[in-house]
Amino acid sequence: MPSQLTRAGLWLLLICMLLAVPHGLSFSQQEILVFLTINVLVVTSYRLLALTGEWSLGHVVIMGVGAYASALASKELGIAVPVAMITGALTAALVAFGLSYPLFRMKGFYFLIGSFAAGEIIRLLWKRFRDPFGGPKGIKKIEPMPDFDIVIWRFDFFEPVSYYYFCLVVVGLSLWIMWRIEKSPLGLTFHAIHWQDKLAESAGINVRAYKTLAFVIASGFSGLAGALLAHYIGTINPNSFDLEQMVFVLTWTIVGGTATFFGPILGCAALVILNEIVLREFGFEQGRPLIYGFVLILSVLFLPRGLEGLLQDFTGALRGRGRQGSRQ
Amino acid sequence: MIELLAQTGLNSLYAAAYLSLVAVGLVLIFGVMGVINFAHGELFMLGAYVVVALYSGFGVPYILVAAIGLIFVGCIGILMEFTIFRPLRDSPLGGLVASIGFLLIAQALVSMGFGVRMEHVPPVTQEVIVFSEKVRLPLQRLFVILAAVMFLSLLWIFLRRTRFGWALRASAQDAEAAALQGISIRQTSLIAMFVGAGLAGIAGVLTAPLISVGPHMGHAVIVAAFIVIIVGGIGSLEGAIVASVAYAFIHTIVTTFWDGVIADITGLSLMLLVLIVRPTGLFGTTDRA
Amino acid sequence: MFVEFKAGGHTRRKFLKSASAMAGLGLMGAHLPGRAAADGHVIKIGFLAPLTGPVAAWGKPGLDGCRIWAEWINAAGGINIGGKMHPVEFIGYDNEYDPAKARTGATKLIREDGVKFIMMLGGDTWPGVQPVAERTGMLFSTLLPSDLGPDTTTLIAPAEVHPIYNVTGVEWLAENKPELKTAVMCAQDDALGLPSVATYLAAFEAAGISMQHDPLLFDPATTDFAPVVTRLISDNPDIVCLDTCYSDYVHPITEQLFQQGYGGQIISCTADFYDQMIDRTSAEFLEGFVFQFPDFDDPALNQPFINFNDPNKFFEVYNERHPGEWGAVSWEYASIMDLWKSAAEGAGSAEPGDVLAAMTGDGTGAHAFGTAEWWGEDLFGINNALVGNWPVVVIEGGKARIKEYKSIPEWYAKHGELLKKHMSAYGQMWDQR
Repeated sequence: MPSQLTRAGLWLLLICMLLAVPHGLSFSQQEILVFLTINVLVVTSYRLLALTGEWSLGHVVIMGVGAYASALASKELGIAVPVAMITGALTAALVAFGLSYPLFRMKGFYFLIGSFAAGEIIRLLWKRFRDPFGGPKGIKKIEPMPDFDIVIWRFDFFEPVSYYYFCLVVVGLSLWIMWRIEKSPLGLTFHAIHWQDKLAESAGINVRAYKTLAFVIASGFSGLAGALLAHYIGTINPNSFDLEQMVFVLTWTIVGGTATFFGPILGCAALVILNEIVLREFGFEQGRPLIYGFVLILSVLFLPRGLEGLLQDFTGALRGRGRQGSRQ
Repeated sequence: MIELLAQTGLNSLYAAAYLSLVAVGLVLIFGVMGVINFAHGELFMLGAYVVVALYSGFGVPYILVAAIGLIFVGCIGILMEFTIFRPLRDSPLGGLVASIGFLLIAQALVSMGFGVRMEHVPPVTQEVIVFSEKVRLPLQRLFVILAAVMFLSLLWIFLRRTRFGWALRASAQDAEAAALQGISIRQTSLIAMFVGAGLAGIAGVLTAPLISVGPHMGHAVIVAAFIVIIVGGIGSLEGAIVASVAYAFIHTIVTTFWDGVIADITGLSLMLLVLIVRPTGLFGTTDRA
Repeated sequence: MFVEFKAGGHTRRKFLKSASAMAGLGLMGAHLPGRAAADGHVIKIGFLAPLTGPVAAWGKPGLDGCRIWAEWINAAGGINIGGKMHPVEFIGYDNEYDPAKARTGATKLIREDGVKFIMMLGGDTWPGVQPVAERTGMLFSTLLPSDLGPDTTTLIAPAEVHPIYNVTGVEWLAENKPELKTAVMCAQDDALGLPSVATYLAAFEAAGISMQHDPLLFDPATTDFAPVVTRLISDNPDIVCLDTCYSDYVHPITEQLFQQGYGGQIISCTADFYDQMIDRTSAEFLEGFVFQFPDFDDPALNQPFINFNDPNKFFEVYNERHPGEWGAVSWEYASIMDLWKSAAEGAGSAEPGDVLAAMTGDGTGAHAFGTAEWWGEDLFGINNALVGNWPVVVIEGGKARIKEYKSIPEWYAKHGELLKKHMSAYGQMWDQR
């Protein structure tokens, strides 16, 4: 049984590793690392909604809502970038709250497609209304995160490594909050709704209210991820948040596995590294989607519990026991 | 104005025809197997590429190409059933991801084999039925409409009059009860995949001479098909057809009198509205959600 | 790299230094394509455009054209810089038309591969790359001059100044077919279509041709164009203008015009794969179709003022290797390389700053269709677009033929205000974007 001390040691090791990672990478890999970190927040927040058993196809558009709101807040209203990012997250949560009324009248497959439709409507509105959303070209020249100095160190947020550290703090904090939520009675209720919808209801749980809550929280963090993205690349357009992106988020999550908190993160990291680094290194140009497609099929066929299942088997074999014991 | 309306009506009829072929296949697959085939648009695309390969490439007679397209894409459907949907029977989300993988593979293979440019399909016929100066119906479009009516009628007869059809309907309603009745899930799944994929394939074959054929042509079709099957109610074939016709007319009319983006927004909003009022679609039943 | 002592800070020089250091490293593993009399190290050129996905048709054929260009140059010894011959190599990066991936790609090409110049499609992807361009001073080119702005000092639009050249087609039409008085237009509702709409409106107004109704915008996801066309020709216009749209739309729209019995004039920016359009309509129907992109086997391209190396042979080789894929982008990226090569040879250096100075120094440049001037202050806020003559191409007897080269600056001198008026109405001036 890991003692308090070894646990703290493990955490320290992880933090040191996360801090050291970018220095072992090439310049373009550092860029990919930034996007990967942001995507970790997207998939983790996606899983929060999935806990209640509902799968959305509108998550990436909600992320876009955060991105647009944050970009417009800083560009049109002159709000400082960090505050604008929070505005973006809150706007995404608010939009999700508004959408929850029609969407949670449905469930299962109907919810999946309903959320897709709601997302598409939002995306078409961005395309259609050039003022203020910029139409199909979207918004350009979004304020970057202002540089700042800590004693003698300068953080220049054009540099991927700087922005990576910034994202690490924001995403780390968000992950911690979501972790706490999942372990709280609230999180247990989400699980209960997933497994026994009707039973939970008869136990006096207002299923719809809890689903709405999960949706709003997940959307807020997704919006935050969008804001992080917008102020880094400096441009967003409706196509950055289309079905194709959503499909990527969905596949990362499912290939990683959703039983544990770390599954989607694992899936996201593995597939992004595969697609953006490994396949490019080998010089596949047009073959990249082909191999990626095969990997998707093979992983759902042969890893029914996702990558996390593989990891659990591995660590389980290592420790000679399952993960249940260490969960407490 | 009357002429404009008449022409718009003919345009809508054509849109309804090919959309319903795609949507009915999607509904059939979902009904029997409980899985969302995200690659359904790519089956449509593969049908169009059968025309590119055989008709444009080797000049095989079009009617023969249509038969080959139907069977070929139907067999691709069977392949999908064997390789991904059957092993993933208990995991609808796994099936969804696997079908996304299949979609990427199909697009990439076609891009590599045929190139990224749009493909050349010579017209099968350039005959146009002229009702008046401004109201015309090209024969190829009439083919699509007639073929849709024919195939959907055949499907209806097949489902109502044959033992297979009975089994298929039974498993679409309640797979477990059907299994208890001695209906082989494997067999019905295979048939559903063959028929569903084949319908998408024949839609691709028929429209290939009319639209731009490219590796990514499936996307626009699948989005419309999703809307249609939701509005119609997921388990209902009749619903899919009715919703296809309604969607095609509304979309075409709004495109003609306003513009395409507004038409898309209208379509999606109507769908949300239907879902809010009747969360299981117009013809759907509550127990299959 | 991220944390820097305050005193240090990043300078452009430092970036380029680290870039050339990386290039030195890269050389060890570089394979020289073909044998050549080259004695200098390989000059690498970045090609940052969509190579997969729905926009691939705007990138992939360009890379194919560039590879032919590189073979020819290397067979002839390479690029002569300060007396040393350097072979040239293209490094592609698939940006999937995504700004974030374009940023990553630009970083890789500059800081890891050590390229000297990067060619892009531009559009959605440019704003993602712009901060990298500003920091590194790397020279970039785009096919879409609407990416230009007062602060894009190292971005040039040297091949096509889309959509300004579209005025030449309308001007030619007005001079040669003065009986055409009314027009309608449909356009794809995006960054490609809208500036072009404004340009055509200005050109029609300048030519005294009246629009029957507002341009009909359609969503790029449209598959069935019958309703659009039905609406378009409902008032019997003399001219149907297709604006600038992807060939995936030009073809079905043209086919619908044919099937719905239209008999008037058609004008379009592009008509890629027009032979297929003829197949699907008829040679008679397309007779007189006006557009802006010649086939390179056109004898009119062999005139002495053309600055493209052996266009007829290029067309032939390209079609041999990539049958049926010839389009506008096939030659455009290669023609940018001609311009770059002569500037680099003139400057005696391949460094981005030197090449840019040599390229734009005297205010003129060797454009594929003849000497042209660096222009654009009015519309783009910067003189980084190369504008001169542009061919008007007409389909005659089933074959595209250049009818005339017309001068864009001359048109602009007369009608510039009109263009600015329509551009601002569509929000396309640089200070509105």
